[in-house]
Amino acid sequence: MVNSNANALGIIFPNSYDSLVPELVAERLMASIPFAGRYRMVDFVLSSMVNAGIDNISVIVRKNYHSLMDHLGSGREWDLTRKNGGLNIVPPFAEKTVKVYNGRVEALASILDFLKDQKEKYVIMSEANLAANFDFKAMLNAHMESGADVTVAYAREEIPEGMIKPFDVNKDLYYTLDIEDGRVREIQINPEEPGVQNLSLNIYIIERELLIRQIGAAFVRGYVYFERDILAPQLDKLKVCGYRFDGYIARISSIKSYFDENMKLLDEENLDALFGGNHIFTKIRDDNPTRYIKGAKVKNIMAADGCIIEGEVENSVLFRGVRVGKGARVKNCVLMQDTVIEPGVNVEYIISDKNVTVTADKEIKGTDSFPVYVAKYQVV
Amino acid sequence: MAKEMIAMLLAGGQGSRLYALTQKLAKPAVPFGGKYRIIDFPLSNCVNSGIDTVGILTQYQPMVLNEYIGNGQPWDLDRLYGGVHVLPPYQKASGSDWYKGTANAIYQNIPFIERYNPEYVIILSGDQICKQDYSDFLRFHKEKGAEFSVAVMEVPWEEASRFGLMVADENDKITEFQEKPKNPKSNLASMGIYIFNWDVLKKYLIEDEADPESENDFGNNIIPSLLRDGRRMYAYHFSGYWKDVGTIASLWEANMEVLDPEHSGINLFDDDWKIFSRNSGMTGHKISSGAEVENSMITDGCRIAGQVKHSVLFAGVIVEAGAYVEDAVVMGGTVIKAGAVVKHCIIAENVVIGENAEVGAMPEGAENGVATVGAGVYIGDGAKVGPNAMIDHNVKDGEVEW
Repeated sequence: MVNSNANALGIIFPNSYDSLVPELVAERLMASIPFAGRYRMVDFVLSSMVNAGIDNISVIVRKNYHSLMDHLGSGREWDLTRKNGGLNIVPPFAEKTVKVYNGRVEALASILDFLKDQKEKYVIMSEANLAANFDFKAMLNAHMESGADVTVAYAREEIPEGMIKPFDVNKDLYYTLDIEDGRVREIQINPEEPGVQNLSLNIYIIERELLIRQIGAAFVRGYVYFERDILAPQLDKLKVCGYRFDGYIARISSIKSYFDENMKLLDEENLDALFGGNHIFTKIRDDNPTRYIKGAKVKNIMAADGCIIEGEVENSVLFRGVRVGKGARVKNCVLMQDTVIEPGVNVEYIISDKNVTVTADKEIKGTDSFPVYVAKYQVV
Repeated sequence: MAKEMIAMLLAGGQGSRLYALTQKLAKPAVPFGGKYRIIDFPLSNCVNSGIDTVGILTQYQPMVLNEYIGNGQPWDLDRLYGGVHVLPPYQKASGSDWYKGTANAIYQNIPFIERYNPEYVIILSGDQICKQDYSDFLRFHKEKGAEFSVAVMEVPWEEASRFGLMVADENDKITEFQEKPKNPKSNLASMGIYIFNWDVLKKYLIEDEADPESENDFGNNIIPSLLRDGRRMYAYHFSGYWKDVGTIASLWEANMEVLDPEHSGINLFDDDWKIFSRNSGMTGHKISSGAEVENSMITDGCRIAGQVKHSVLFAGVIVEAGAYVEDAVVMGGTVIKAGAVVKHCIIAENVVIGENAEVGAMPEGAENGVATVGAGVYIGDGAKVGPNAMIDHNVKDGEVEW
């Protein structure tokens, strides 16, 4: 294998943390949530992997994955239409496990045979709730240098409110790490302590053979979660090392954080931090450039292609194909693709999902702490 | 399996009248309309018309074009059988030849066409901005029982003598061809787009090649021969937007017309007839708080902090705070620094316009030149580039170029 290719295959869990944003995943999953004007959440992890030379990537979908399949297609936009490897979307294998998987152990157990057949030495696992330009190569190098069995990426962060807040039996788990000399000594599950700490990014590197052995053993015991059931009880046996990621992270942990993370990208420093490194690839829509018509007034916005702006837009993120009619005022909004704001409309602090239409002269106002969410295909 | 119709796209032109823009690339590769290149129009027309096999004949500076076309995927022309093929002149056992003329370019690629055994061949030109349904053209060709059809546009009589003109009877049958005549008998200008029955075209290409006197040109040789032999020739009327962007002025004008689709008729916002292009892959554009953007087209990767009026900006253009851009076509990756004033001009790719520099001027009286700055040029701080200048070299700080 030529040096530029990482000797690793990628596995992405696109449904992780769906439970934190029930509105946004009503008809999709975390990985296909539109973000930053022209992307979907999965684009970031997928592009980061491709940029590290990983060209064998499996996406283990759980439910609501229609939009994701549509987005990913054959993987061509990420250069993943390969004879060997490429993009591999794994639908739930209901016959074997009867029910849809809950944790990573079950998810990985469903592809054990596939994993056995692969050639790559390492496996990199990630979710799709983070938008980051992640250098997997650097992490892989750190993993090899430390001689760890498992390396887990973490960031110095406070636990997002959205993760702690809802009390829900179906809530996805999150973890913080106690690290000493680079080695993880303890894993806390769903802690609620305030303050900046080592918040796990749930990105793992592990040797493929080891993963197969661990998953095989855990699955027959009926274990569900990789962290809770495999790593946490074996921290003395397995050398689990932490890898601190200091780059820019946009984390979707609630509808509010979704709004805030989009808005943060209006600051060019943040925009450059997220996009300034390697390329983030996405599905191409072949939209024409955005057109600002006479009378349009725009201030501090980010917009993708295909928009037609005739009204006033301020402090907002516009996705592809948004229309803002004459005399309309849009302030502090996130308007997803093909939203139509008709003439005379006045909107503030709203998140409009795909294909929303706000008819002429209507007024919708949310607030800074509570942006109004308008669901897909709604006509207001 | 035979193809009903394949397209041959003439893309070898140097575009010498675009000089500063075509130093390193062929005319069909010249950027247009914010995120396109000229060749996107005929290619997208082909795909939208159901033509899935296109030969692109290249000769002059083909590298940019080759790389741009690649495997044809952006136009959905990566096909198992057919698809897009770039056809440069090549060496043969008997020697090698550049493409001597448009007809010779097709002649040298007879084996390519024969592989698809088409009934019809459409000859396209790679230097026009036009949205046209070639399948409607083919329907006309078949209905008339034609052996050769040419797409024509009605032009104002006073301008007719600048064009190749088709004189046709009331059934659209062509009776005469006049190349840039002093006394035009018709105002039907040839658009340089032809449909031939392949057997007829092949016969005439072979005959034309055997004639040492011939210039091997469609307009000067093939069409007159067809007329001489009384072939069934018809003129297909096209009335949509069409522009030959062979000059700086017409290229600038066509870009400006994109800003006004309601009147100009060139609408790129048409979901039923998309123009495809290779994507820049940049993130959405950003317009800052102090910026003013009016009546303009802006695409991915742009960062606008200054004033932009009635302009077309391509991917990744940066307009710093205090810069002023009006009536301008600014191609990808160009940086316009603080205080610079850019008016009524075409700025090519990856140019830097220094602080407080001035490029171009709004038309005044008879003075209406479109200043042009070639790719990669550096215009120094405080430099001045006059409205008639064509710049293909760096301009030092404070220097003046007219």
